[in-house]
Amino acid sequence: MRVLIVEDDRDLNRQLVSALTDAGYAVDAAFDGEEGHFLGETEPYDVVILDTGLPKMDGIRVLEQWRRSDRKMPVIILTARDRWSDKVAGMDAGADDYVSKPFHMQELLARVRAQMRRASGHARSDIECGPLRLDTKTARVTLNGQPIKLTSHEYRLLAYLLHHNERVVSRTELVEHLYEQDFDRDSNTIEVFIGRLRKKIPPDMIKTIRGLGYRLSQAGDEG
Amino acid sequence: MKANSLALRLFVTAAAWVLVVLPIAGWIIYTRHRARVVEAFDYQIWSFLQTVIDIAVEEGAPGPVPPSELGKQFRTQSALHWQLQWQIKPLDGKLVDGKPAETLRSRSLAGKELPLPHEHGIEPEEDETRWADLPGPDGQLVRVREKIHQFGVGTGAQRYSVTVAGRVGEMEETIADFRYQLTFALALAGVGLLAATLFQVRFGLFPLARMERSLAAIRSGQATRLEGDLPSEIRPLQQELNALLKSNQEIVERARTHVGNLAHALKTPLAVLINEARREPSPLAQKVIEQADTMTTQVNLYLDRARMAARIGVIGRVTEVGPVAESLVRALDRLYREKELSYSLDCPAGARFQGERQDLEEMLGNLLDNASKWARSKVSVVAAPVPTDGSNGAGQDWLEIRVEDDGPGLTAEQLADPISRGRRLDETKPGSGLGHSIVSDLAYCYNGKFELARADAGGLSARLTLPLAT
Repeated sequence: MRVLIVEDDRDLNRQLVSALTDAGYAVDAAFDGEEGHFLGETEPYDVVILDTGLPKMDGIRVLEQWRRSDRKMPVIILTARDRWSDKVAGMDAGADDYVSKPFHMQELLARVRAQMRRASGHARSDIECGPLRLDTKTARVTLNGQPIKLTSHEYRLLAYLLHHNERVVSRTELVEHLYEQDFDRDSNTIEVFIGRLRKKIPPDMIKTIRGLGYRLSQAGDEG
Repeated sequence: MKANSLALRLFVTAAAWVLVVLPIAGWIIYTRHRARVVEAFDYQIWSFLQTVIDIAVEEGAPGPVPPSELGKQFRTQSALHWQLQWQIKPLDGKLVDGKPAETLRSRSLAGKELPLPHEHGIEPEEDETRWADLPGPDGQLVRVREKIHQFGVGTGAQRYSVTVAGRVGEMEETIADFRYQLTFALALAGVGLLAATLFQVRFGLFPLARMERSLAAIRSGQATRLEGDLPSEIRPLQQELNALLKSNQEIVERARTHVGNLAHALKTPLAVLINEARREPSPLAQKVIEQADTMTTQVNLYLDRARMAARIGVIGRVTEVGPVAESLVRALDRLYREKELSYSLDCPAGARFQGERQDLEEMLGNLLDNASKWARSKVSVVAAPVPTDGSNGAGQDWLEIRVEDDGPGLTAEQLADPISRGRRLDETKPGSGLGHSIVSDLAYCYNGKFELARADAGGLSARLTLPLAT
């Protein structure tokens, strides 16, 4: 699950990166409108947190340009401007949610989770697939009610598969959504993590679809 | 007209002038006219006397010849004329043709005798005539002019007293008649002048009244500058006032922008502080969070106040409720996508708010946000002009906007006093808790009303009463 943070305040940006990384997301940070716009245009993010008062290019314009070039990722606007006229302008530009500063980090994280679920079509905060259950609020996965211990990379991979369960997910997609921009993108590492996950959950839940990628489905479901 | 007003000053000076000048002019005209009338009267008597003598003298006649038809001829010669009487009376008592000399006189005297100035000891003037105002035969005062003239030849030749008289009363009547007409004409002129002055003052000062209305409109926020084509004398004043208003507005605008910028600029560092402090369990961090929260509340409060202060001066704007509600619902529909709420809007085209769009957005946005937060499935917005019975005074019509939801609503106690700044009705839902008080403050700014009640559907019914734009 990749998140882009576009925020020009260095301290706030750092806090956001650290909070979101702790929550198990792969996080990229941009400090001005142009950089943010470029990243959003070129990288596949699952959620973007966008400040409006940005140097070089205004946040609302960044958002409008993304939407014009058909970038559909959920965008949460994070801004000090909290008038309804600002909110309406933001939502009309294509935002999915609006958080006013100062904010509570927990609330922002909840909003990020909500956008993730929304994008993958899950209405509730926990996602189930057979015996597996992901609680997006606590970032914990349980198997038959028992918590599974996962490293952060394992969690990201499994969470992404759970968000998109019953669907074939390509290796490229996984790489793009699980790692920060500057990460060395060797898709072999995905195979290593898939192997490790198969040891922690019923192994046949993750199927390798040759030439296409992987699919997480309920155990015993042949397809 | 008020005391100490330009209108009164102008009127009083003009009126004083009229009241002083007209009587003086009247007096001058009257005395001059009177002198001319008297002169004409005297001249007429004098010239009649000369005529009587001229006609009465006939070469070789034993005495004066009676000038029988004189009065009639004479009467037509002048616009000013009076009935005159004449008399030719022998003085020496000599016989003419063996008979005592006759006294000749106008028929109108009916045989009565005119008084003779020489008998009253009046001395003759240079032309040998005597004149005096003496009691006449009917007891009225007459002005008589007399000339002693020698008539006849031979033994009958003797001095005659030729006398012509006019009634003084008749002459005075002429003068009185004129005086009456003059007084009437001047009084009429005076009244006319005063009326004209009044009109002139009103008409002349009318632009000032217009300017006063314009200024009142500026003060009440219905206009931002002094409009209208004013006369050249006060146009510089208008320009100066407009320049002053503009610079004042700019100063206010700048101050407000600074307050807004300051408040917004503080929010990011506050967010950083709060987030940083939350990561630490220390008492210092707790203190920081507590204080930062207070600061946040203060920043929001003064930001609201700055916005509120901006109300003054922009009340002339008109905002259609429909489009505002639609754009808000569009935004909220996205914000509360999971709840799959159904929004119903009933905002007819006539529902127009007399005020700024941003304020309506702020009020309606907060109400709709609250409704969306609590609603189970439905949120409705109904805007409609309040029916007037025509007796609500001040001519202000009102617009009612009702936002209702089918959520849990409020208890009777909460409904009693839910709107106090900074207090959240329910702490379980995220939000600043300032929503309702902002709505209430803004509505108050527009002299409107904000009430919470129980909706028919069971949830909360928020009612806004705001000025209707007509």
